[in-house]
Amino acid sequence: MMKPPHNVETLVVLQPIGVDTDSDDRQGLLVMANGLLVGVLVRLDTPGHEQLRGWFLEAGFGRLAGLRAPTFDTPEAAARWLRQRLKR
Amino acid sequence: MQDALIRKLESFEELTEADRKALSALTLRIRRVPARTDLISEGDPPNSVHLILDGYACRYKVLPDGQRQIMAYLVPGDFCDLNVFILDQMDHNIGTITACQVVDIPRQAIVEITNDHPRVTQALMWCALVDEAVLREWLVNVGGRPANLRIAHLICELLLRLEAVGRVTGNSFSFPFTQIDIADTMGLSNVHVHRTLRDLRALGLIALKRRTLTILDVTRLKALCGYNPNYLHLKNTRWGVRRNIPWPSTGRRSS
Repeated sequence: MMKPPHNVETLVVLQPIGVDTDSDDRQGLLVMANGLLVGVLVRLDTPGHEQLRGWFLEAGFGRLAGLRAPTFDTPEAAARWLRQRLKR
Repeated sequence: MQDALIRKLESFEELTEADRKALSALTLRIRRVPARTDLISEGDPPNSVHLILDGYACRYKVLPDGQRQIMAYLVPGDFCDLNVFILDQMDHNIGTITACQVVDIPRQAIVEITNDHPRVTQALMWCALVDEAVLREWLVNVGGRPANLRIAHLICELLLRLEAVGRVTGNSFSFPFTQIDIADTMGLSNVHVHRTLRDLRALGLIALKRRTLTILDVTRLKALCGYNPNYLHLKNTRWGVRRNIPWPSTGRRSS
């Protein structure tokens, strides 16, 4: 599939989904960029996370594969950060 | 405190009174280093050998994007850089995790003791070889085991290494690592580290309270990650003979 030219803004869509993380963190969002799945965000709900709350990039695909991202207060903040990463 | 070194070396090699005396002379000037402080940094010329007498330190590198990778934990009795002084500059950092008692041994002192005390030389070589073996095992751990087993393996290893220098009481030992430290060691996110530690607790395998870790069921924890302590080379030692290692034997001995 051809990549869109750089001057076209990547369209990031978040789509709710349940995720089995073998923990209490279950509420997730599929991150779709220009119609392709690029990542899965999960809300951190397991008690006792050290300084960790908000949304975590549970898995990334393509350019986001293996990326160790910070955690984000909101899904929108995560989407902004991921969009920046996808631009590079 | 000074005992950690002699105790460790004696687990590899029987030492004479003269050997022990020479080793004690190495550890006269003890320096207290606060937690989270570099003992030596990448690029520095290594003029002396650092020996940890108390506390925990680590060997680490920082990638251009700021990501830290820890390659070794250094516990009491561990030399940070036994042979590094032969090289002209450090290719990694060594930093404390907790407050430490550290001895800086000038390279000349190492040269002298190894010239005069063959058993000490042998024991030091053994230390260096075991350090390499531990590094190999960590490579296997990070490359080959899933997240929960990596951490279980690390905990089993710390139990044995700390027990060899008398830092374990009733399967409990100091565990000052943050979730970020463990994440940076195991190539995991701190989220996964948190979930795994929680999981190991829920399984009744460990308890973690005020930075003290207790292994509640050593046999089950060992079985979970298929722990084989052969790489620590403690079996054929005085320590190994004196102590009855509670692991069921594996590999060739079981066939």
